[in-house]
Amino acid sequence: MFVSERMATDLVTAGPGLSIFEARELMVGKDIRHLPVVDEAGKLLGIVSDRDLRDALPSTLLKKPDYETTLRLIGGYPVSGVMTKNPLTIFPYYTLQDTLLVMQKKKVGALPVVDEDGYLKGILSTRDLLKAFVNVLNIDEPGTLLCIVVQEEAGQMKKIIDIISEENISLGSVLVSRDWDDDKRAIFPYLLTNNVINVKQKLIDIGFELIDPMKWYLDQGLNVGD
Amino acid sequence: MKKTGFVYDERYLLHETGQAHPESPERLKAIYDHLVETGTLEKLIRIKAEPAKQRWIEAVHNIHYIMRFDEACVCGMGEFNHPDNVICRESSEVAYLAVGGVLKAIDSVMSGRVERAFCAIRPPGHHAEVDKPMGFCYFNNVAIGARYLQQQYGIEKVAIIDFDVHHGNGTQHIFEEDPTVLYYSIHEHPSFAYPGTGREFESGGGNGVGFTKNSPVLPGRGDEEYRRLIMQDMVPAVKSFKPDFILLSAGFDAHIDDLMSGTNLTTDGYDFVSQVILNLVNRYTDGKVVSVLEGGYNLEMLPLLVGNHIEMLCELRTF
Repeated sequence: MFVSERMATDLVTAGPGLSIFEARELMVGKDIRHLPVVDEAGKLLGIVSDRDLRDALPSTLLKKPDYETTLRLIGGYPVSGVMTKNPLTIFPYYTLQDTLLVMQKKKVGALPVVDEDGYLKGILSTRDLLKAFVNVLNIDEPGTLLCIVVQEEAGQMKKIIDIISEENISLGSVLVSRDWDDDKRAIFPYLLTNNVINVKQKLIDIGFELIDPMKWYLDQGLNVGD
Repeated sequence: MKKTGFVYDERYLLHETGQAHPESPERLKAIYDHLVETGTLEKLIRIKAEPAKQRWIEAVHNIHYIMRFDEACVCGMGEFNHPDNVICRESSEVAYLAVGGVLKAIDSVMSGRVERAFCAIRPPGHHAEVDKPMGFCYFNNVAIGARYLQQQYGIEKVAIIDFDVHHGNGTQHIFEEDPTVLYYSIHEHPSFAYPGTGREFESGGGNGVGFTKNSPVLPGRGDEEYRRLIMQDMVPAVKSFKPDFILLSAGFDAHIDDLMSGTNLTTDGYDFVSQVILNLVNRYTDGKVVSVLEGGYNLEMLPLLVGNHIEMLCELRTF
């Protein structure tokens, strides 16, 4: 779960002198929304987002001749004029959790990854993060989600894991929700199997409450409304 | 009463999956015994299953995959590719016989010996991919049936309706770029249930865009939701496709008493599903349909639900 494992390293970058017009062509052609700007040595100078370019380019509402005239005027300006200078950066040894929290807090869509000397090493976008979390949750693999409500006390998770192991079932992921009744939690194991009858029966037999995840969802909704 | 064929063979019980596996020989035994007890069996025309020729299995599956499966069984491997897929030495022969049962049922309908048929076969098929077993399935019985209809009988458009509680990932992937086969599936929502595919936005690719339709049902929902989705999604899809033949992937594990799933379809709800499908069959395919068993794991409910479904095929029972 480190940035270095998930960042994109096949980098598309621009020099500070690249024109706005060329930068737009590059980003559309490579299907990217963030373009890091580096100096000749590869040191990060700034970052240009597709939004920065949209702000700089003429409005599409203009009549065609007006649009083209304005574009000629503006399109040749260097990206250094529209880029975010000294952007927020992260280091390769940051965790994905760090990055998730940074992105949420700072409301950015991508973060350049640099080493201690400020040289660009990669870029991590929300797309990369989404991919990482799909992978961590294992939801691109076939499986079944259970919803188990347990008393908040030590050793509950062990009982669940023991039963899953007894049944020789591979575990994709486990999510835990604490927003249940005060003394209860909802546990969601994602099991990589179609064969859930025995594991469900055993969980019921030792006294766990299996609930329909929709019931949990609706109850959550009611709590929020309180 | 409609002349209705019935495929069943004791050799289907030879695919043994060990203790406590839900896809057990007892499933078929229970169905058969129930049909005898209720007297339904004597109203049906028995169709004898024969092992399918490998060329028909190759119409869907990769030859290397077929060979790997045969070898795994012959060598006495306990499972194939995943612990879900428990096998024994006889499993591959039984799988050929399961496909063969569907092909014989199709022959019987096409020759006019019967008007429609139900295949009480195992192992099931709809999770099986071109080159991968999944979710207790090895050969995709229904997909092979669709190819057989097209290649052996020149049938142009086949609709496959899948009401097993799990999405038929194999069937969808096999036909997803093919505009000559409509795949419609109603199943428990893939965020909660195996195999994690069959989301609303999966609607085919290439030339097959629009010929795949999925209706996911959230857990806890039952008859009302099925009714809504069947009328809103399935009926228009089949109507605009105008199939020449309809095949059913008939799974009975969406029932409220089946612990395999979180959906709450009732016995009456199943009757409703069967009835709407049969209305489409009578309207578009001149009454021709072959219904093929997929899942259903509650040994008390399964025989009853299959019995009801067969009685509806016979038109001895209506919703």
